[in-house]
Amino acid sequence: MEGTGGTTWLLLIGAAYIAVALYWARTAAAENQGEATWFSAGHSLSPWVAALVLAGISVSAWFTLGTAQIVARDGFVYSYLLQSGILLAVPGTLLFKRAWFIAQRYRVSSQAELLRLYYGSDAIVLFVAGIALLFAVGFSGMQLRAVSGLIHDVSGGAVSSPTVGAALSILLFGYVVIGGMRAIGYLGVIQTVCLVSASLLLTALIVIDAGFIDAINARMLARADAGESAHLFEVAGVIQFVSGLGRGSFYGHPATAVANLSGAYALLGLAAGPIVLKVVLSTRSTRGIAAGQTWVLAGFFGLLIVLPIAAIGAAGLGQSGFGVAAWLTNLAATSPWFAAWIVLGFAAAMQAVAGLSILVAAETLVRHVWKPYYASHLTRTATVMLTRIAVVIITIVTVLMAFLAPVTTSALGAFALPASAQLIVPMLGLCWLGWITPAAALAGLSFGLFGALVTDVAGIGLLSWFGLDLPWGRHPWSVNSAAWGLAANIAVCLLVSAASRGGDTAPTRTQIQQFLSASLTPHNTAHLRSYAWTAGLAWMFLAVGPGLIFGSYAFNPEGVWILGFPSLWGWAMLFWLLGVSLIWFLSYRMQMASHVALDIDAFQPAPTLPRDAVAIETVRLRNTVVALLIAAGTVTLIVWSFGGGA
Amino acid sequence: MQPSTVKIERNLLVFAIWSALGTIGVLLMIEGFARDGYALALSGTAAIIAALAAHVIVNAMFGTGFSVGETALGLTSFGALVLVFVLSVLLGDVSRIDFYAGLTLFAVLAAAFVTYLITRHGLRGAFSRFHVGTHGPDLTPPPET
Repeated sequence: MEGTGGTTWLLLIGAAYIAVALYWARTAAAENQGEATWFSAGHSLSPWVAALVLAGISVSAWFTLGTAQIVARDGFVYSYLLQSGILLAVPGTLLFKRAWFIAQRYRVSSQAELLRLYYGSDAIVLFVAGIALLFAVGFSGMQLRAVSGLIHDVSGGAVSSPTVGAALSILLFGYVVIGGMRAIGYLGVIQTVCLVSASLLLTALIVIDAGFIDAINARMLARADAGESAHLFEVAGVIQFVSGLGRGSFYGHPATAVANLSGAYALLGLAAGPIVLKVVLSTRSTRGIAAGQTWVLAGFFGLLIVLPIAAIGAAGLGQSGFGVAAWLTNLAATSPWFAAWIVLGFAAAMQAVAGLSILVAAETLVRHVWKPYYASHLTRTATVMLTRIAVVIITIVTVLMAFLAPVTTSALGAFALPASAQLIVPMLGLCWLGWITPAAALAGLSFGLFGALVTDVAGIGLLSWFGLDLPWGRHPWSVNSAAWGLAANIAVCLLVSAASRGGDTAPTRTQIQQFLSASLTPHNTAHLRSYAWTAGLAWMFLAVGPGLIFGSYAFNPEGVWILGFPSLWGWAMLFWLLGVSLIWFLSYRMQMASHVALDIDAFQPAPTLPRDAVAIETVRLRNTVVALLIAAGTVTLIVWSFGGGA
Repeated sequence: MQPSTVKIERNLLVFAIWSALGTIGVLLMIEGFARDGYALALSGTAAIIAALAAHVIVNAMFGTGFSVGETALGLTSFGALVLVFVLSVLLGDVSRIDFYAGLTLFAVLAAAFVTYLITRHGLRGAFSRFHVGTHGPDLTPPPET
């Protein structure tokens, strides 16, 4: 029977993986010693564990598979994807150390708590909860569907995609429910090394199959000589003032330099969001931040993307109709053990990001929204129990959405990064820019999310459903929705900060700013600041910005590939190397992420008498239900009257 | 840091090493056997030895040796593999390349095991590890005066 070998090996390796997952879940549960440390592993994850897990969830299966597929289809014009190791490390370098110290002092363990503490705004918490849900349902659902499809193909159709998705999800919520954050940390290490191992093995096999790198380069050169150079190996100008994807055509292709730069902003959103911050705040010290961002993420994973993953794409460029899934299906016929291991590596990486996303979404909903508003009497045990139930419900919703509404899931998943990028501004306010007031942060975030929504497929589809057809498509002017959102976010934030300065006297904010300036002010770096700014801006301009125009031709004088491969690939390698140097400079020399040995006293708030809030919470719950019913009725009425279109 | 946490982190590192390197080694061996490729099988052996070396390095970093469970698992796996190999050879189901690939694996593993014992316990100490009971020489160093 076709696919029998693949299925057998998939089952064998899958069973081993399940055993490993449950072993580490059990170990984590034993180490947790009850519910006290379920949410954040008692802030005791080892720095090296955190560094590996952060890199694994940042890169994940979507990136390795997705980038290879994009290069195979579109060539090297989306250069920002090849710089993702550096880009994903930038927010960590700027934010993680300071965020960790504030969280440690105030004994908080999530981004929602941090932002509520600093800005005193419950609305920001709701936004964070929404973004966490986008990651859990959209981002993870998208990956779940892709990996399930891959396993279905490799098994020769013996196992259906929904069955695979359901099995992966049962294992996922199983280990999350049992071991909490600690299980995610421990298993995340195994999942990350499985991803690396699978990626390297896949690269080696594909490159050997394609006849090694010389043959790959020769095929790419042949395509360039056949007149396809412009859309595969050259960026399409700086910007194109067109209506966007789905609304009119681009000149040549949509990968302009500004599309690259704005796409880079979306990537920054991943590391500034609630998912990644959760790992950082569950770590026991800042010892691993600089090394993790510089050597693990920017260095090792950056190299993994710019060389092996790009090589898969380059091999695909020379073969018509190339697809990783189809290639793995063929491999399963001859070497099913390799195919099974590679697929398992990607499935494990998908689980790493999905498990963390679902835990963070469930925690935010239960601990930071439900409990403070409606059930302040909940004990720790009851809160953990409720969060476990929420984990199961969110997982089920994710699976159902992924297989019953794949288009909506993709739209939500695609919006997760631009939405998360809007959190960069309030996070910068928390860690560096003390002049951003709570009103400015909230207003900026609101406008930023709106700006990102209406320029992305999720918002355009939503408004169309309401009967409002926008005159632009996705990513108008070839600018990613993350950048549209950030433009609105920053503009509104500046305006409102200017207008609301002086009226803000919250003692916690002042204490946090004093704590940061007293404890974490870098020493002997003042004379280097201008160099840091210059190097950072120059790197952004040249590596992922308008400088990519030079990159298209830098190693391609008069149409000759002097490196033997496309100029943009060489440009990406050069700027990966410079990017690692930049991250090192910022992390260590500018002391933005380097370890500081500080004894941090936990902040002791003034004692207050507990209030019996049951009556207030009951009224609040009733009001919320009424408001939701009115909102649902209004939406139904609007859709019935004006909308309902696709 | 709790002693249990140190132990868990050491176990986690060991798991990660064997997941990444050990599995690749085994898969390459299988591919080598399937394709009758000695070089492939040899690269699998190299990956397994690399995993073993990394395991020993982790042990040294954490100041421990192999745990009882690891030793039992390692020796049992080794014994089972030898048994399967010998049975396959006796049944005549092994090609010449497969025969030499298997022999290389077992020889290298045995050599690595002996090397490990010698480097960790010294020549005499390594020999004495095989003594069970009270007849072996007492290697306990004399108390300092």
